[in-house]
Amino acid sequence: MRRARIGALAALGAALGVGCAMLAPKPAWELPAPPATDRPIAREGALTRAQLPNGLLVLVHEDHRLPRVSIALTVRRGAAVETPAEAGAVSFMAELLERGAGKRDALAYAEAVDALGATFAASADWDTVDLGIAGLSRDFDALLDLFADAALRPRFDAREAQRARAALLASLERAKDDPATLAGWQASRALYGAHRFALPVAGTEQTAAQLDAKRARAYHAKLFVPNGAIASVTGDIDSATAIAALTARFAAWPQGAVVDPGPPPPEPAPAQRSIVVVDRPDLAQARIVVGHEGISRTAEDRIAVSIFNLIVGGSGFSSRLMAALRGNEEGLTYGVNSGYSLRRAAGPFYASTFTRVEKARKALDLLLAELERARSDPPGEKELGWARTLATGSFSMGLETSDAVTASLVDLEVYGLPEDSLDTYRTRVRAVTPKDMAAVAQAHLHPERAAIVLVGPAKAIVPQLEGLGDVKVVQP
Amino acid sequence: MPLRRLLLTAAIGCWSAAWGSSAAALDDPASHARVTRLDNGLVVVTLEDPSTPVVSFQMWVKVGSRDEAGYTGLAHLFEHMMFNGSKHLGPEQHAELIAARGGSVNAYTSSDQTVYHDDVTRETLPLVIDLEYERLAYLDISAKTLDRERQVVLEERRLRNEDSPMGRLYEALFATLWQALPYRTPVVGWRSDVEKATVEVCRKFFATYYAPNNIVVVITGDFDANDALARIGRTLGKLRPSKSIPRNPTEEPEQRGERRTIVHFDVNGPLLAAGWHAPATGSPDGEALDVLSMILSEGRSSRLYRSLVHDAEVALSAAGGYWEYDEAGAFVAIATVRPGTQIADVERRFFAEIDRVRREPVTEAELDKAKRQIEVGLVNGLDTSHALAERIGSDFLAFGRIRPLDERLARIRAVTAADVQRVARTYLIDDQRSVVHLLAPDSPKPARRGGGA
Repeated sequence: MRRARIGALAALGAALGVGCAMLAPKPAWELPAPPATDRPIAREGALTRAQLPNGLLVLVHEDHRLPRVSIALTVRRGAAVETPAEAGAVSFMAELLERGAGKRDALAYAEAVDALGATFAASADWDTVDLGIAGLSRDFDALLDLFADAALRPRFDAREAQRARAALLASLERAKDDPATLAGWQASRALYGAHRFALPVAGTEQTAAQLDAKRARAYHAKLFVPNGAIASVTGDIDSATAIAALTARFAAWPQGAVVDPGPPPPEPAPAQRSIVVVDRPDLAQARIVVGHEGISRTAEDRIAVSIFNLIVGGSGFSSRLMAALRGNEEGLTYGVNSGYSLRRAAGPFYASTFTRVEKARKALDLLLAELERARSDPPGEKELGWARTLATGSFSMGLETSDAVTASLVDLEVYGLPEDSLDTYRTRVRAVTPKDMAAVAQAHLHPERAAIVLVGPAKAIVPQLEGLGDVKVVQP
Repeated sequence: MPLRRLLLTAAIGCWSAAWGSSAAALDDPASHARVTRLDNGLVVVTLEDPSTPVVSFQMWVKVGSRDEAGYTGLAHLFEHMMFNGSKHLGPEQHAELIAARGGSVNAYTSSDQTVYHDDVTRETLPLVIDLEYERLAYLDISAKTLDRERQVVLEERRLRNEDSPMGRLYEALFATLWQALPYRTPVVGWRSDVEKATVEVCRKFFATYYAPNNIVVVITGDFDANDALARIGRTLGKLRPSKSIPRNPTEEPEQRGERRTIVHFDVNGPLLAAGWHAPATGSPDGEALDVLSMILSEGRSSRLYRSLVHDAEVALSAAGGYWEYDEAGAFVAIATVRPGTQIADVERRFFAEIDRVRREPVTEAELDKAKRQIEVGLVNGLDTSHALAERIGSDFLAFGRIRPLDERLARIRAVTAADVQRVARTYLIDDQRSVVHLLAPDSPKPARRGGGA
């Protein structure tokens, strides 16, 4: 009926020689956004949870679309348990897991993984140690045997530990060639002083030089307990088979005490604004980081904070910081972003960008001004409108790969968050209000006492910083 | 029907035999794609998969840095201008509108193509199509936005090429390896050209290359293909084709003797690169070169890792692989040298491994392992709508069709140890190589600490 009338009108317009432009359908951007359907986070019946008698939590996520499978183990403690003096020990232990396990030495282990066309990875983060193996589903048993060896029977061979330490020291030295890494390291130091968060997860050249097989073995014994770990299997495998296979390999793993997660950093950090310039005379760009303390992974207002951050600097082209710096008529940068690093204890907030050396001050001023404005003029309903849809839309698209969904579910377990957090996420995002934005801006943004780090030629940068406060120049 | 299901009929027994025989039947999702050619030359490839929450829309334009004459970096600079306003929309509005509906939007330029890609949920696809039409039909290039965007691109150039040791290494390697082909210039262009490109130059570039008969649109994932094709017909289908699209006439002359370049940059970790001329994409030698890449580089049991990283402990990473372009190819190998190590020592061990693959055939175990790694990689490449669209777009631009997975697998399985040795002997010739050292001006310098080992 409706269509017929439009057709008749068009015919009339054509007959009268009137331009049809007014009758052409409107472009989609002029129409209201069609509603999105929230898909469930996984297919019906795809998720199975179980717990072995030794406390190991097991999560199976069936997805039979491709003939592959991935197996992971997440230990609920990470680098945050270390004292600053032993920084890097947990990460070093993780690296050694694939350098020989069970009856295989490092090269035999690598041969076995590669022969399956599989990939193996082990790494430490602040709150976890993660190891995973992925390959074809029909190799499930072989993959799981290799995996269980790395998790439960790493060899911690002294010669391999020497190799790993030499490689670590060399890569820490080489990491200084990257301005972004230098800026991040220096910002953490400025923020956290004597706390473990001041140093990288991998440690420093001083602490890494102390690492050896003995210490790695001790950390493995201390952190790897089934009652403090989550095993997950994702892919083309049925849950009963997966659970039986995991039980066969992991049921005898003895329980142990779950160690203290490590002390939280002192608050607030920092107490006042500090400015550090890392001197790299050869660089064409100044790398800029502004940081201060942020929020914990389990903070009550974390959803509001994440939406607030999208608007300020976390959403690429749409963010206020991008508009202010890249959208500036001088095209001051290629990229700028901000974020809250979510850990068990509050991690840092940072905003970072880069610009040609002669514009360092201008970019820094604009960045600080935008952070100030986020407090004086917090996001209202208009910005919230797109930010909510951006958050729910990217969440929905993130459900495309089952591995990503499993990883998010494991993350909830690590931090003791409600099991249904993913199911309720989109609803919680839609409930965020402008009032929440104003509250978050006051509570969690502190440009006036931020640590400011610039990496680049000090000779050209320092004179630009006049009037901002005391400037400390350091070598990389 | 779940499109991505791969049917495996023989899952038991020796895996290499099962995979290595033709027993594994593969239902390639891309084989269900539908190809539509519009009257104006636009090719639209659609592939529905309701099992995923994403629809990936990709617009592949057959123009890249190899098509630039006069102003290098133009294809890339122009890609930025595609986000900077049109008749009905202001600068950056295109990207903002998609983000506001939860989608992600971006683009990239390479030597052979420029790709605009959007990942959205299904209700947003009409918006994506309308926005693509808007900028193709009504792009507005003003001096003001060009001047700003030029600065943004120069910042990108500083980030990726000027302040990045790896960026400088690649820039030097390609400029050494190719003396005539446009692949010798960095995609982002030389600084002077980016500084000088004008609105007129951009407009001419747009009119020449952004014609429907030079574009392939690929849509994969959760959408209705009939609806999408109807909408594309009403919009992109109205664009006028271009009569002729000029292509680069230059061919690379024969290389006579090894070439060396030294780049000074203030680094702790020097870098070593080597490159050899290799065939263009689609060559019958491609699969043997891919297998060789795996044997040299993939995983901790690979030859270069084992020799340079594990045993000799002179490098932090070492890898070599076959890079294929439309008009040429390269076999490129890179090693990150440990601080305090002589780059010459790394180079000697590096070329010893190259010499070994020329001198003696690789083992059957290495051959099986490499094939397995490639095959698993192909399966993993079916993981997302985005990856699938990328494979389809890339194949269509290079070959005018989708290469079925079965075809690729069959060719990989057919590679023998003798083939690997033959391609190594054919292409990895000492006086045909180009070598780049990137190191600090005052190198060699001792490590700042003892090194630990």
